[in-house]
Amino acid sequence: MKIALQGSYPKIPAGSGPSVRTQIQRFDRGLGGPRDLERTYREVTGRLLNLAAEVGLDLTTDGQIRWNDAFDPIVRDVDNLYSEGLLRLYDNNFYFRHPVIRGRLAFQGGTLRYWTKAAADESRVPLKVALPGPFTFMALSEDQSYHDAERLWRDLVEVLQMERESLAGSKVVEVQWDEPQLAQKREVDIPSVVEVYRSLLAEASLPQSIALYWGPRVHSWLEPLANLPWSAVYLDAVADPEVYAVLAAERMPWTVGLGVIDARNVRLEDPESLARQLEPVLRRQSAERVVAHPTSGLELLPPDRAEAKVRQLAVVREVLEGSNPSRQSEGR
Amino acid sequence: MQPVLRTTSVGSFPKPPQLIEARTRFRRGEWSRDQLAAAERQATEAVIRLQEDLGLDILVHGEMERGDMVAYFAENWQGFEQSLPVRSYGNRYYRKPIVVGKVGAARGLTVDAWKAAQALTDKPVKGMLTGPYTICDWSFNAFYPDRRALVRDLAAIVHEEAMALAAAGATYIQIDEPAISTRPEELDLAIEAMTVVTSGLDAHTISHICYGDFETIYPALLDLPVDQLDLEAANQGFQLLELIARSPWPAGKELALGVVDVHSHGLESVASVKQGIYKALETIPVDRLYIDPDCGLKTRTWDEAEAKLRLMMEAVHEVRQELAAR
Repeated sequence: MKIALQGSYPKIPAGSGPSVRTQIQRFDRGLGGPRDLERTYREVTGRLLNLAAEVGLDLTTDGQIRWNDAFDPIVRDVDNLYSEGLLRLYDNNFYFRHPVIRGRLAFQGGTLRYWTKAAADESRVPLKVALPGPFTFMALSEDQSYHDAERLWRDLVEVLQMERESLAGSKVVEVQWDEPQLAQKREVDIPSVVEVYRSLLAEASLPQSIALYWGPRVHSWLEPLANLPWSAVYLDAVADPEVYAVLAAERMPWTVGLGVIDARNVRLEDPESLARQLEPVLRRQSAERVVAHPTSGLELLPPDRAEAKVRQLAVVREVLEGSNPSRQSEGR
Repeated sequence: MQPVLRTTSVGSFPKPPQLIEARTRFRRGEWSRDQLAAAERQATEAVIRLQEDLGLDILVHGEMERGDMVAYFAENWQGFEQSLPVRSYGNRYYRKPIVVGKVGAARGLTVDAWKAAQALTDKPVKGMLTGPYTICDWSFNAFYPDRRALVRDLAAIVHEEAMALAAAGATYIQIDEPAISTRPEELDLAIEAMTVVTSGLDAHTISHICYGDFETIYPALLDLPVDQLDLEAANQGFQLLELIARSPWPAGKELALGVVDVHSHGLESVASVKQGIYKALETIPVDRLYIDPDCGLKTRTWDEAEAKLRLMMEAVHEVRQELAAR
């Protein structure tokens, strides 16, 4: 079984060490310059990449250490898209500046590639990038220009494709489309979702995955998404535990990710119990096609708890592989 | 006679540099609790004087003794543990409490700060509490079997605190529930909890709510058992008023309308604030419309907070004059 991270990660240390928070405060007070800020971003990103390597993750992100929120690099890379008032991000006490569309979307690029490249070059663990999927983007943004859904969708898919392709030639190994919106939406036009994703996934030079989290309807997407060319489908098994049963019963055509570590609660999961839940899934899907991961980015946790959760992923794997002493002593 | 369009502020004010320094020294063990308390009193007086100078009608004490609207209670009540900071947006962080045991509290945590502020002015000062639903939602629950059990225990504690404020003489008591729109399926729980909090409370009750998806809980939100709903509106270009206009505004309910965005450094124009007020007056009777900022001002600098309040008051004065001339 593989283990991976999903998206964001705390920008501050659990103890001493470089802190984006402190450096931005210093920068705002006129202390330190742009180079100091840049160095801090790289050091904090490096700290996560070192943790990923130390723990033995198979796939990581750069922790989105430079990002204000999930939309930040896209807003900077796309013309006529602006960051506006704060809105709550679903049911979290976290707030994002919602994107406002004030003209026809056009791709300029540069930010995401620059922000990602240094991390991808440095990382000893394969690196993926998590971007907001088109349905989450549309649900959380505001259109003040198009007033024509079809044209807007067409342009949005194109600029997201161009954003994805801006990463071609870097060492990024996967682009992950985050769709919490689809995980919670009760009424959704499934054929439209499939159609939009068929367009978005086309002509790609990078493998692409989708992450469905924070909602109870995760498992219901497995069938509609089955025929799309994903490299992996990541599923929140905390919000929707039904995914365990579905994945234990039916083999999927792609790698399946199981969000087994709750990225929104400090309580540390019991590795034995997680291993018991994962075993039937591993048997059905085969271990090399299953990825265990946190339900979402870990930035919603304090840094000490986030790190503990990353380490817990490795413990779960050890338990499953029988290399963990606690299980060996049980004679498993 | 009471003025129309009574003005107020939501709760927190920016901490003046002297208080920030005092809090740092206290944390480092260089200053005693008494020295910190003196700095807090001095800052509270500055908050009261500023509001009086600007002519606000119902004042707040500015929460100089509080770091955060949830963490303050968690730090002083039983059953909570403090976490390392968690980011809430931009470069803002808070220490999200962890519930590790049954919650409990001695009554009257907020009373002394309220009394001290009220003693500085003849105008009413609001008693400020955070609601049980929000305290639950903005904490990690590592103890209770479910959120409902935690909210119910918190409601009993917040009720006691509200009763203590009323007994001390607070005539306006605000119980903030910014998290109320987070999970529409739990609105009944938030309403049940507020019913417990306000039960038998002899005061004008207010609940401040912000930065949520009001579409999902409106008009059911009107059932929240408080006299006044205090809602953020400027941040979203007063779009909230279109939602409010879809249903009749209930008799006996007041609206406090947020007219300046507290998370933007930029200063609004008087014209845009007036436009928001006039739009609200299309739905809300003038005697039941209050005016305030979108949210607490603590994320602004002192100068920015003062400028936003001054501009708000200028707009209100102009609207009052224009209404009187009709």
